[in-house]
Amino acid sequence: MNSKINPTFFVACQQCDALYDKPQLKQGQLAKCNRCGSTLIERKVDSIERSFNWSLAGLMLMLPAILLPIMGVTLAGQFHQASLFDCILVLIDRGFFMIACLVFLFAIAVPIVRLAGAFYISYSFKFHKLKPSLLNFFRAYHYLDNWAMLNVFMLGIVVSMYKLIDDTELSINLGLFAFVFWLICSTMSAAALDQDYIWDKLERAFPRNCANEHS
Amino acid sequence: MNTAKSKGLALCPKCHKLNSLQAEPQQCSRCHGMFYQRKQNSLQYTLAWNVAALIAFIPANLYPIMIVYQLGIPSEATILSGIGEFIDYGLYPIAIIIFTASIIVPLLKIIGLFVLVYKVHTGIRLKPDKHSKFYHALEFLGPWSMLDVFVVALMVTVVELGFVTSVAAGPAINYFTITVIFTMFAANSFDPRLLWDKKATAQAPISTDTLPRTLPEEKG
Repeated sequence: MNSKINPTFFVACQQCDALYDKPQLKQGQLAKCNRCGSTLIERKVDSIERSFNWSLAGLMLMLPAILLPIMGVTLAGQFHQASLFDCILVLIDRGFFMIACLVFLFAIAVPIVRLAGAFYISYSFKFHKLKPSLLNFFRAYHYLDNWAMLNVFMLGIVVSMYKLIDDTELSINLGLFAFVFWLICSTMSAAALDQDYIWDKLERAFPRNCANEHS
Repeated sequence: MNTAKSKGLALCPKCHKLNSLQAEPQQCSRCHGMFYQRKQNSLQYTLAWNVAALIAFIPANLYPIMIVYQLGIPSEATILSGIGEFIDYGLYPIAIIIFTASIIVPLLKIIGLFVLVYKVHTGIRLKPDKHSKFYHALEFLGPWSMLDVFVVALMVTVVELGFVTSVAAGPAINYFTITVIFTMFAANSFDPRLLWDKKATAQAPISTDTLPRTLPEEKG
């Protein structure tokens, strides 16, 4: 084992640990691992601007998507409609605490925290308000990577519509459109955020906090 | 092929910075997170979550997942009988989606992870390129099994017309969510780099493993 390798000039594949020289990429380029084919580094086009705008739009759509009724049902002359927020209230009311928790976590809490996180990060980059606490913040942001399930919830809405459409009169409300746009915004803001670029920038902004062993 | 491990480097799983490995767990010089070169006890954790998920999957299929009250008369439906209802109505695409999301995907995940753990452990017929792609497919499919849970949650809230029709969630829903979450934990604790490590050591056993072992024997 040769120990004198400066790790700053290399990148390793996250999936198979293969070691490469660090490529210099322009915006829109990406480097792929030769061995397993997964993406090594990607420089996304206009990352900060885009994720700022998407997450801002997402935060504005958040309240209508949660509070407006998604769909309504008419059966035997009775009408009942429900929003995402009603969903949780009714579930708690009827004692299904576990599903209430799950829906709250995966369809409300995690997406909101992720949107707000993306907004905060892109905001501080856009207006050059970098703080050392961003290092911890961005690391914490990555813990939620897998747990936003808005897209699954959307498919759930479609399936339950199919279930209801036969027996009842179904009405679609404004909440559904807000929800769809909210889903698009949160997905896009997460996808537009360029992690490698942000980590690189943060490291350069706070060289003292990121004690580099070789400098 | 050079790997970070063979050069004494380790990749931070959170910020993807290469650190030279000085201690385990290593603190990342950039984000200050603690991490190991490989996920610690990856195979054991994967196996444990997997077994737990498999156990929870049995009551998830036996108990009713949704109970529909029509004029006060309950009719129970398990996951499979719910799919059967869709087929009776002729809604085949929805039946296929639900069957995939709530039966095939969890089972495929559990069985697939068992197979991956077995292959990494023994190294028999290990093809890291194919197996790591398979692992990524499993990881991607994970959250989609939550579909049934969300459908039931929506049905419970939307169809609430007092005495005429109302829907309640059955006990299976809890077991099913436990299955899904445990399989997600299992997939998260599996480390695909172990596939490549195993292959590399299997290909070059003479240069690294056997030589140091034979030398002390000659002394004694």
